Amino acid sequence: MRLKAAVVPIAALVILFPLGYSLARSVFSWGAERGQPFLAKPETKSAGCVRDNTWMRFHHMDLLKQVRDEAVREGKRGNIGLNTCRECHTNRERFCNECHNAVNLHVDCFRCHYYP
Amino acid sequence: MDRRGFLKTAGVLSAGAACAYGLPLLCAGTSSRGAPEGPPGTRKWGMVIDLTRCRPDCTACLEACRKENNVAFFGDARWDVHLIRKVKIRRTYPAVSAEKPMLLLCNQCDRPPCVQACPVKATFQREDGVVLVDQHRCIGCRYCMIACPYNARDFNFKENREWPNKDRPRSSHGVPQSCTFCVHRLDVGQEPACVAACKKVGANVLAVGDLNDPGSDVSRLIATHPVQGLREDLGTRPKVYYIGL
Amino acid sequence: MEASFERVEGKSAQYWLLLGALAALTLPGIFSTYLMEGRGLYLSGMTNRVPWGLQIVLAVFYIGASAGSLVISSLYGVFGKKEYKPFARVAVYLALLFLVAALLSILTDLGRLDNLSSSFSHFNFLSMLSINPFLYNMYILICMVYLWAMLREKEKLVRVMALVAVLWAIAVHSGTGAIFGFVPRELYQSPLLPPSFIAAALSSGTALMILVILGLFRLTGRPLDDQLVVRLGRLLAVFVLVVACLLYIENAYRVYLAASREAGVYLLFGGFQSVVFWGGMVLLGSLVPAVILFTPRTAGQVRWIVVSSALVVFGVLCERYLIVIPGQAHPADLLPNMEITSSVWEEGVAAYSASLPEVLQAIGVVAIIGFLFVLGLRLFRLLPTEARICE
Repeated sequence: MRLKAAVVPIAALVILFPLGYSLARSVFSWGAERGQPFLAKPETKSAGCVRDNTWMRFHHMDLLKQVRDEAVREGKRGNIGLNTCRECHTNRERFCNECHNAVNLHVDCFRCHYYP
Repeated sequence: MDRRGFLKTAGVLSAGAACAYGLPLLCAGTSSRGAPEGPPGTRKWGMVIDLTRCRPDCTACLEACRKENNVAFFGDARWDVHLIRKVKIRRTYPAVSAEKPMLLLCNQCDRPPCVQACPVKATFQREDGVVLVDQHRCIGCRYCMIACPYNARDFNFKENREWPNKDRPRSSHGVPQSCTFCVHRLDVGQEPACVAACKKVGANVLAVGDLNDPGSDVSRLIATHPVQGLREDLGTRPKVYYIGL
Repeated sequence: MEASFERVEGKSAQYWLLLGALAALTLPGIFSTYLMEGRGLYLSGMTNRVPWGLQIVLAVFYIGASAGSLVISSLYGVFGKKEYKPFARVAVYLALLFLVAALLSILTDLGRLDNLSSSFSHFNFLSMLSINPFLYNMYILICMVYLWAMLREKEKLVRVMALVAVLWAIAVHSGTGAIFGFVPRELYQSPLLPPSFIAAALSSGTALMILVILGLFRLTGRPLDDQLVVRLGRLLAVFVLVVACLLYIENAYRVYLAASREAGVYLLFGGFQSVVFWGGMVLLGSLVPAVILFTPRTAGQVRWIVVSSALVVFGVLCERYLIVIPGQAHPADLLPNMEITSSVWEEGVAAYSASLPEVLQAIGVVAIIGFLFVLGLRLFRLLPTEARICE
């Protein structure tokens, strides 16, 4: 049946369109508009960096989520968190947004949490 | 259909209906929150509000709360968020009395219906008895608002424009908010914003302390004054007590 | 006698026009959902006092209609009445679509739809609103398997699935009743709410099926034995009575007890909701249909049955409204024997009226399931060639 045969491809197109669009955008704009993301090393106010670059690159989301759950659900505050990141990495544009814009991955934190 | 078939069907249908409530009944024994009774030595935060000292036209606690928690305000009674509300009440039966001020806020119940209701446990109760909304997890279904018999929760219908306290997050639209006893301050040894503001203006209406510590303000107040919680008959065990209600 | 099922040809201009119109009607709904999720739910008529509005009312209605439709299909699958076999497939497909509509209504009503994954990764056994989506999702799966079994004509599987589906439908709908009944609000808290939901589901489902079946058969020119409709009408009559009975008990109980009297009287005599109650639910939704369906002359005529079915659907819709909205609009009695004279809030009875975006969302949901239904008639062998009683 002509119609039946068309249903699956059309549905697949509709469902995969957002993903495809995002992928296409990052593939075709990587290196073109923004250049490779580059994080300048900040002047650390504390004893040193929290963790090294590679670890942070892979685990900062888990770190932040764990700190968040401990603070909100268990009341263990005073740990590192968004507020303490700000002490050394003072500018969000040149820190979080640098990489997140490059890979086109939206973060929801700053809708509510202040980070200039 | 013969009798046997009918009985079979009826039995099986009842079993089906029982499934819908069976799960909550089975799990009513287990707690979906950290044990509020807690191991010995656990704090249990409570509040005492001395209405006899409350000045009718003072708004110190309201403004302090709004500033501290970045509470949304649009000037529209439909959508304004109030973590603490000041109202005027009077008796109607058996006789009409004079008006007096009263403060309404989340009662931080020991058996919170909102915690029971939240489908994702975004509303939860900590070990120290504080009932909170984890706004990272909340899906905005508003069942907690339906379940609260005190109408203590407000919903953020609109995105908040103001951000007076940049050290604290501001709620996005789509999540409910209620008084948290300023746990972010309690956790680091400070008093809630409303308590501090009330002390500053000299009224000393609000007191927040550890109910498990017989020496704390709230315990002493409860021991020496006749106090009353709101609708204690509902079995929610509110932890906000009023003197002079 | 064996009914044979076929697809709608679906090549006529009317068919494509219908599909196109339904697809077009979904667009305003999608747009207003997008706006509401992006800008905030203030675009709806909901407020801090009435946080659940039109979408929830309709969601509850759809769940009821779904459970009720499944009962019609169970007349063949569970109770073995062969004369209802022609309707079974359409009934199950409709049940599936109604539940999809309910889920769509609920999902578009969430404040933070982007956090939806939390509802899958965090489950609260004590929350009726956590258990119910689990029931709804399984119900959709069960309906799909049931429909597949019928389309492939696997009789044994059909029998098993019919029983499972009806059981699950009862669980689903009494669970939905528990969402409201197990909450400490004066006009919600009630152990009668789950059974009364089931009764309303049965009556609205039967009524909707009568309307849909008649509409389908007449539109596609298929012969339909009037006696079948008359029998369904008799079933509807019983369900209408049960609904009325539970309604009476619930309200009598509330008004009798001093604790709930004020709330009960508010519902019955206090304002707009009383008009909906007496005019919509009692008169048009119960009395008139009962009179029609119990009078032998009118109970045997198809057009009277159609009229009473439409009235019953309207009455159940009114009932859904009365369950959801007045319970929120009525103020909680925080301070017995006291009153709040001034407040920053909306004290006293709160007002709620659905805003345009909400209405557009509701229309969009109806359009989506209408579209899926019309498409399904073309894709699946749902329609019987005829429906006759063979003795």
